[in-house]
Amino acid sequence: MAAPQKDVFRLGFVGAGNLAESITRGVVRSAVLPATSIRTTHHRADRRSLFASFGCRILETNAQVVEDSDVVIISVKPQIVRQVLTELKPFFTKDKLIVSIAAGIKMKDIKDWSGKSRIIRVMPNTPSAVGLAASVFCTGETATKKDEERVSKLFGAIGKVWTADEKYFDAITGLSGSGPAYIYLAIEALADGGVAAGLTRDLALGLASQTVLGAAAMVNQTGKHPGQLKDEVTSPAGTTIAGIRELEKGAFRASLINAVVAATDRCRELSQS
Amino acid sequence: MGEALLAGLLAGGLSPAEVRVGEKRPDRAAQLTERHGVSVLPNTEAVSGADAVLLVVKPQDMGDVLAEVGPALGAGTLVVSLAAGITTGFIEARVPDGLPVVRAMPNTPALVDEGMHAIAPGSHCDEEHLARVEEMLATTGKVARVPERQLDAVTAISGSGPAYLFYVVESMIDAGVTLGLPRATATDLVVQTLTGSAKLLAETGEHPTVLRERVTSPGGTTAAAVRQLEDHRVRAAFMTAMEAAATRSRELSGE
Repeated sequence: MAAPQKDVFRLGFVGAGNLAESITRGVVRSAVLPATSIRTTHHRADRRSLFASFGCRILETNAQVVEDSDVVIISVKPQIVRQVLTELKPFFTKDKLIVSIAAGIKMKDIKDWSGKSRIIRVMPNTPSAVGLAASVFCTGETATKKDEERVSKLFGAIGKVWTADEKYFDAITGLSGSGPAYIYLAIEALADGGVAAGLTRDLALGLASQTVLGAAAMVNQTGKHPGQLKDEVTSPAGTTIAGIRELEKGAFRASLINAVVAATDRCRELSQS
Repeated sequence: MGEALLAGLLAGGLSPAEVRVGEKRPDRAAQLTERHGVSVLPNTEAVSGADAVLLVVKPQDMGDVLAEVGPALGAGTLVVSLAAGITTGFIEARVPDGLPVVRAMPNTPALVDEGMHAIAPGSHCDEEHLARVEEMLATTGKVARVPERQLDAVTAISGSGPAYLFYVVESMIDAGVTLGLPRATATDLVVQTLTGSAKLLAETGEHPTVLRERVTSPGGTTAAAVRQLEDHRVRAAFMTAMEAAATRSRELSGE
């Protein structure tokens, strides 16, 4: 029996910024695509040479990138997406998939500006830089199953991937989009607690971030409910439950719930303006 | 409470002829004889020759009662005390040496045979004594064995516990009325919701968080309400409430 054909397609980045870089590194490292399948361009020489150093094909213009790609990731800043799509409209042919990672830009807008509906919208998050992104995608009217598989593989190379209806994207932004910042706060505060309790800053910070990483890994890898994991480490009248008592008194849970809801509301406001 | 336990024991198969009740008040004594067919005698006669003695008197009367009946207790008599805050040490000091003493913390739903009884052994207790007390109390609810040092916490949880739940019930009924329900309707809704939820928890054995999450649909009414509870730090309120109860229990047993 013949070995299954690997799906090698031409991937183009319009906008060779941080997310394009993270995806490229992940895709090449996990051999989802050879580097030579990836093409991009940038007005800055340092960005061009960085992508060249990965083995990617460097072109002159965004139009060339689109023409030379099967899947085009629009990774420019949200405020210039409209301008870029309008300029590239003639080059988006029906055989190409448009993937947008622009926060707050709806598929309807992408469709209006590009003239096409073979679209997938993805909301990744900043830990894509370390291959631990939480990405969610929704699909446009004429995107195919194969398009979905390709997007899953691409974003699977930088973390975990889920699919959801576009109507949930404000909440997704509020949770996984903004979420890393909430946790940075928590890590800072845990470290402050360590220092208050007598530890050096270096040790406190190292312990704080590793503890957060470890706890998250426990949830992901054991498949146990976080409430159960909490139960398992809170022995009667012990140290942990004494700490949790303080968190409950401080409305820790409410703070996080309200943060996610507030960020969701703000995202909705911004996308309506 | 004493009568509830008595009724439970009789329903569980104990014959009235095997029970003697010490009760000073003549009207109460007559009532007990009439209802349960048991003989009512002065305390010292009631305990004389008994295999087991249940002391269901108020904590503040325990000193006097033990002074009275202590000398009348025969060797090997099992002494069971339901007096809150009275330690096995206190009792052992006032009864003949070596008597097995068990301390029990019941709760009011024993009145409807859904009590939660915690029992703690004194210094001269063995497995057989605890098993006998378990058997006696099992007729009116569930029984848990705990070391005596945990009884203050038990008092805070299951002893006073029904009060916290009645407190929640009161609040929910008032909320229902605020939202426009007739009080009688609100009461029926809340009481059955409490009963049903407790049953769901007990029978499925599921983690309460999991059961809560099952009722909490995305962006729904439950999520909105729970958010308010979190904002109001209700979890912390329950924690500190129970700590206060346990502290008070410790204070009372020290007095």
